[in-house]
Amino acid sequence: MIVSATRFEQMFLTGARCIRDGAVLFVGFHWPMLIARIARRLHAPNIVIVYENGIVEDRLTPILPTSPCDLVSAEQATTCAGSLETLFMWLAAGRVEMTLVEAAIVDRYGNINTTAVGPYLQPKVRLPGSGGGTELSSLGRDLLLVSASANQRSYPASVDYITSPGYLGGGVERERLGYKAGRGPKALVNPLGIFRFDDNGEMYAAELHAGVSADEVRATFGWPIKVQPGFKVLPEPTAHELTIIREELAHAKKRYYLMPEG
Amino acid sequence: MTTGIKPVLSMREAVARYVPDGQELLIGGFAFSDPTALAHELIRQQRKRLFVMKTSGGVLVDQLVGAGCVERLLSCHVWNSVGPVAAHCFRRALEQRKPHPIQIEELSYGSFTMALFAGACDLPFMPTTPVQGTGHFTQRTFMPQKFGVVENPFGGGPVCVVPPLKPALGFFHVHRVDQYGNAQLFGPSGEFRYAMAACKKLIVIAEELVDTEVIRERPEATVAPGFMVEAVVIEPWAAHPTDAYGYYYRDLPHHALYGEMTKTEEGFQRYVDEWIVATGNHAGFIAKLGKERIAELQIRKEGW
Repeated sequence: MIVSATRFEQMFLTGARCIRDGAVLFVGFHWPMLIARIARRLHAPNIVIVYENGIVEDRLTPILPTSPCDLVSAEQATTCAGSLETLFMWLAAGRVEMTLVEAAIVDRYGNINTTAVGPYLQPKVRLPGSGGGTELSSLGRDLLLVSASANQRSYPASVDYITSPGYLGGGVERERLGYKAGRGPKALVNPLGIFRFDDNGEMYAAELHAGVSADEVRATFGWPIKVQPGFKVLPEPTAHELTIIREELAHAKKRYYLMPEG
Repeated sequence: MTTGIKPVLSMREAVARYVPDGQELLIGGFAFSDPTALAHELIRQQRKRLFVMKTSGGVLVDQLVGAGCVERLLSCHVWNSVGPVAAHCFRRALEQRKPHPIQIEELSYGSFTMALFAGACDLPFMPTTPVQGTGHFTQRTFMPQKFGVVENPFGGGPVCVVPPLKPALGFFHVHRVDQYGNAQLFGPSGEFRYAMAACKKLIVIAEELVDTEVIRERPEATVAPGFMVEAVVIEPWAAHPTDAYGYYYRDLPHHALYGEMTKTEEGFQRYVDEWIVATGNHAGFIAKLGKERIAELQIRKEGW
């Protein structure tokens, strides 16, 4: 019997496949951690993960951390340093090759809001704030954004508050303001597929999961998003891949991760 | 700052002596080594109008805000990291001004680190992450000068800078300390070293008091030499429900319980009554958790 993956499950595989074995990664809070873990179990056992608090995690930990600061990620670590090392000596200095950050609310230019929906001083919904997210987006090489949402509320044309900078207003605004050249989001992975950024810094649908239509993509985003003509359909998980993904999701649930509804 | 033997205070004495209403204080920890025992005592002694600085606020800041202790907050993140679920009191304060409005100022974690680093080194400013165009750069409340932009004097365009941050008082969780205040922390250290050195007055909350000979066995683990430390509090399990490297794990069920109970103001009040006020002190809180839970969380085999 063939059991097909949900789009949420599919997202983990698509994200994991973006990770090259042996790469040095900076991994942010929440689903990016699970994506990196799944990559490590599938095809990338030799990745080295840096967390903002100073931990360098170079192997599959027996227990899934609930956040980068859950110190089960530091058990038998090779390095325990601090934030000056992780954010500046390793991330800003370019020693980290790929960066994964969650993008709960993200706009046309890849700007992420994890601070406040509505006016800042009288927010409709208050969110956690930056943490190291600003640094990951400002400084990280090969930046991959991750969102588990396929809801239009998560993809406004422009965010109310830029917590983590994408291409700001588009074009060369980042360079003009002193951001390092070549940094900035390279792709977004979500339950619909992979989205990339054009030369103006605008997000477009590049490759989609099986069964996702261009119309569905357009209905999900808060601006008239471009869809790559003749877009590629991303491969579905094999039975083995799906087993690993489901094992890790079950593991996450045991570790008190809240699962999306449906 | 002095050398010599430092006072060893109970948490009750430390709060009574060093934290009057309206005090400015930096609280250490980054979702691990969060000195929750300090927050509980601030709530028991009903402190008001505090100016709290904390990089990662977590459940600790959520409690202080919910209990009405905080007037101003400088932070980079406030959430319950298990789930993750919302820091409900923090949200109620900012969305509905309950139990009363608070003022918030925000930095990114890197900028917070650099501002503390500048404070620690007594430098006029530090370059930081490029943040122009972000919300924290434009949105300023009680720290209008939290960021600046200078032209690189060596060529190459604009550079974001942060001013030095020098908190009047700091409380930090560490693993062990001797009578001279030599404080040791194992595992990752986030911004703690610079944050400790940035504070004008530093109090350490240690899991255990050890002989100086024990400190000498691992001098590289000393995060604050005794001459930086004003006073010492010995409080086992002070960082619960967050984790203490090598000593105990993060308490996931307690984070979940806190998240569930604090969904409403009434639920939060019940949490305060049952877990903070009725327990009397931190030993009472740990006793309420129970031996079984403590045994599950404990990493270090020998007691301390």
